[in-house]
Amino acid sequence: MDIAALVAWIVTALGGFFLLVRWISGGGLRQQQTRTTGFPAPLVFGHFLLAAAGLVVWIVYLAADEDALAWTSFGVLVAVALLGFTMLARWIPVYRAAPATTEAMTPAERHLPVPVVGAHGLLAATTLVLVLLAAIGVGS
Amino acid sequence: MTVDSDLRQAKQPVSGALAGPYGHPFHPILVTVPIGAWVCSLVFDIASKIVDRPGFLTHGSAWLIAIGVLGALAAASVGFLDLFAIPTGTPAFRTALLHMTLNLTVTAAYAAGFFWRQGDGYAGGQSVGNGQLTLSAVALATLGVSGYLGGKLAYRYGVRVAAESVQAEGYRSTRTTP
Repeated sequence: MDIAALVAWIVTALGGFFLLVRWISGGGLRQQQTRTTGFPAPLVFGHFLLAAAGLVVWIVYLAADEDALAWTSFGVLVAVALLGFTMLARWIPVYRAAPATTEAMTPAERHLPVPVVGAHGLLAATTLVLVLLAAIGVGS
Repeated sequence: MTVDSDLRQAKQPVSGALAGPYGHPFHPILVTVPIGAWVCSLVFDIASKIVDRPGFLTHGSAWLIAIGVLGALAAASVGFLDLFAIPTGTPAFRTALLHMTLNLTVTAAYAAGFFWRQGDGYAGGQSVGNGQLTLSAVALATLGVSGYLGGKLAYRYGVRVAAESVQAEGYRSTRTTP
């Protein structure tokens, strides 16, 4: 269960990296001042940093086997998920709308492909469930 | 993108709250932890070969390695944010990628070294093994190279450094000429 959570976490992170690179190359950082993108930088990078920190805590849990570490990872993931859902909520209307006239006026998140967004979300939810199950002691 | 706008972009934080505000990045303060811890770890390793009862040095050295690894991960997180500020396809970006790769390799080597030492245990009060010491020495030398690149990024390419017009504020004299 612990290892399954680790694998799911890492694959989720890889998808997340892909989305981050797509968002940046789509102009996500250049669009911060004009608010063309609905994703403020602290939201995007806060989500990334918290998820990375949580992964480190999980890896330490795998080595040290302390319950508190598993619960900390779960708590961090809940915060990560809240930020992720915020981005999802802002992405959906952008994805549904017609593209703007110029490249510069198109929100950067429009470049995020649906299959990757979907897979990232599903894998993230799976990771969350696996971490919770491991924390409450199922499968140990 | 012109050279000038690329240069100016690399000075801006992607997120002031997370990477440090303009002209005051967080990454340089965080790197002090792994550098200091890992230098001390090597000092402890060498000293363990010299003193009579080296057990405390061997055990302490492992602690320092672990502190360094955790500090390095924190420094890397913020370093990542600064990497995203640098326009791709530029020499600065390539230097940053090399800096990052070397540092991640060094961190992984130290993590491996930590688990290697854990395997031996510390109850025997022995000095640090020669292989383990060599690994740490090579890792620290590599850290020196990547640190040099970090300095190049800041002092030669000005990544996350305030523009010269802002720097001039520090030298605006209120002295009246005699």
